[in-house]
Amino acid sequence: MAEATIPRQASAPVSTAPDDVLRVEHVAKRFGPVTALRDVSLHLRKGEVLGLLGDNGAGKSTLIKIICGFQKQDSGRMFLHGRPYAPRSVDDARAGGIETVYQDLALIDELSVYHNLFLRREHVHRPLPFLANRRMKLAARQALDEIGINIPRIDVAVARLSGGQRQAIAVARTVNSQADILLLDEPLAAMGAKEGSMILDLVARLKHEGRVSILMILHNYVHVLEACDRVSMIENGVIALDKPTAETSVEELTEIVVNEYRRARQRAQGGGG
Amino acid sequence: MANVAGEPAAAPGQPTPPAAGGPAHARRGLLSPRGELAQRVLALREGSIIVVTLLVALYFSLQTSTFLTSANFKTLLPYFAPFAIMAAGVVFVMILGEIDLSIGATYLVTPFLFYKLATAGLPLVPAVVLALIACMAVGLVNGFFVAIVGISSFVATLGMLFTLEGLSLIVSHGTPVNTPASQVSQTTRYVTHVVNGVHVQLPETVNHISTFARIFGGGTYSELIWALAVVIVLQIVLTFTRWGLYTVAVGSNKLGAAEAGVRVRLVTIRNFILCATTAGLVGILEAVRAGSVQPDPAGANEILLKVIAAAVIGGTLMTGGSGTVVGALIGALFLGILNDGLILQGVNANYLLFYLGLAIILAMTLNVYVQRARRGVGRG
Repeated sequence: MAEATIPRQASAPVSTAPDDVLRVEHVAKRFGPVTALRDVSLHLRKGEVLGLLGDNGAGKSTLIKIICGFQKQDSGRMFLHGRPYAPRSVDDARAGGIETVYQDLALIDELSVYHNLFLRREHVHRPLPFLANRRMKLAARQALDEIGINIPRIDVAVARLSGGQRQAIAVARTVNSQADILLLDEPLAAMGAKEGSMILDLVARLKHEGRVSILMILHNYVHVLEACDRVSMIENGVIALDKPTAETSVEELTEIVVNEYRRARQRAQGGGG
Repeated sequence: MANVAGEPAAAPGQPTPPAAGGPAHARRGLLSPRGELAQRVLALREGSIIVVTLLVALYFSLQTSTFLTSANFKTLLPYFAPFAIMAAGVVFVMILGEIDLSIGATYLVTPFLFYKLATAGLPLVPAVVLALIACMAVGLVNGFFVAIVGISSFVATLGMLFTLEGLSLIVSHGTPVNTPASQVSQTTRYVTHVVNGVHVQLPETVNHISTFARIFGGGTYSELIWALAVVIVLQIVLTFTRWGLYTVAVGSNKLGAAEAGVRVRLVTIRNFILCATTAGLVGILEAVRAGSVQPDPAGANEILLKVIAAAVIGGTLMTGGSGTVVGALIGALFLGILNDGLILQGVNANYLLFYLGLAIILAMTLNVYVQRARRGVGRG
């Protein structure tokens, strides 16, 4: 293909730092005829907030799902705290300290707020197998208050909540865990300005505390520059840009996307003629 | 919920404005004890079907003199206890959003297997246990084809239905057999009566069944006790354990549950195993109660439909995500009462199914209206 030079260009030296908590090297993933990720390498430093950008269908969500153990890459390697990392399941990744907010939120409509918050991390009355509902309710209330999310009742089914509240619960589920790496796939998607800024404040607070490292997919460049330390942009299945946010601007990021559109149009016209 | 003409339309279910003459809180205070009880019952997911079942029972007790007798209660038991046990199992599959059409066939073939094992010289209880383990294998196969191969549960279990019904015809050669250790033996004993001051000894026939038979379906209340035990245990599993939580999670949002780390395939297979086991258990209980095992696929298919009906009537959604075991028990009770009551009313045998069908539709229409009233209560 015409753009065969691109992967070679990107598979050049993998940028690393000594305090990386997560490293992804030359990861590729195909779904039948569709190449989602061609050759992606990125790294996440301790306490850092990394913004992952890219056009729709660029493979951002696929990358998240590979890191969190939901899907397996076709080739490439990952390292967690310097050790080889190949999760076989979401539980595996969770055991390694990785929690995820999915784009579709992965909430269970029929279950209550607190059951959703503790899904797969339920408290039980050991050694009996019974759910410790009261304990979970208390802990859920505490966690939501800490984050500053206003959910009036935590024993109602999440189906009855608004889009923003649901999103907040999905984020709270992640933050409330013991994880030290958070993967957030468009955490602001369904939110109004007020709720969105609350999540951005939460990210800022977590960054300040410095305990967790965050990999976050965002669409709004203003949010990216505000919340992230560094940005990586995926284009055509490879990382096309990797820069500290301090050294880039909304203009530069927009410019890259505009150029991408221009090239895509030329390709389309060339193919048509 | 009729609105006063000209008033802006209130949202349905909002409390209606208090009628003229008396402040609202005073009226509510007066009604509160009774209102609270009604509210509690209706707030249950099974609330509406409980109300409808009570209404049907009330109707038959007014219409017939024999409905409210202990003799009739005993007649009623086999009309609902077996269905309640099987429905309790199928609820777990239906909450997943799947269906198990092979439960009737499992019900049919398991007692034949029990018969073969027992006549081959195996002691009775181990024969029952082995037969139930075979049922678990049936559930495992169902679950395998649904969760791992990815065949729709409707088709996979339909295939299992025909396979097992065919198998029961093959092993039985189409002839019924006597259930092991379940035959009624009769002894005659002499009982002394006093007639006009004279002691007279008169012969009396006494029926005996083995202890095994009394426990596994032959005793008058055996199936009722099994049904209550199974329903209580499975409702606890559904409401208070991770097994139940994950069942609802998978049925409500399969992808989301998987993303959260729930092992969807394991949960699915486990529930198919549970469902097949309850069906096999009922097959054995019924064979012991009847004293014979009948190779009757048509009867088995009718049982399948009634079990699914009991689950749905009890509030389990065919689309998955929601359901209760206690509801299924009440659904089975509802069908049993309807059947039994119509017979007591002296409905001609040829008309029975006809009236049963109409009564189900009528009662379920009533159920919808009770549900709507319940939602109103819930919000008000």
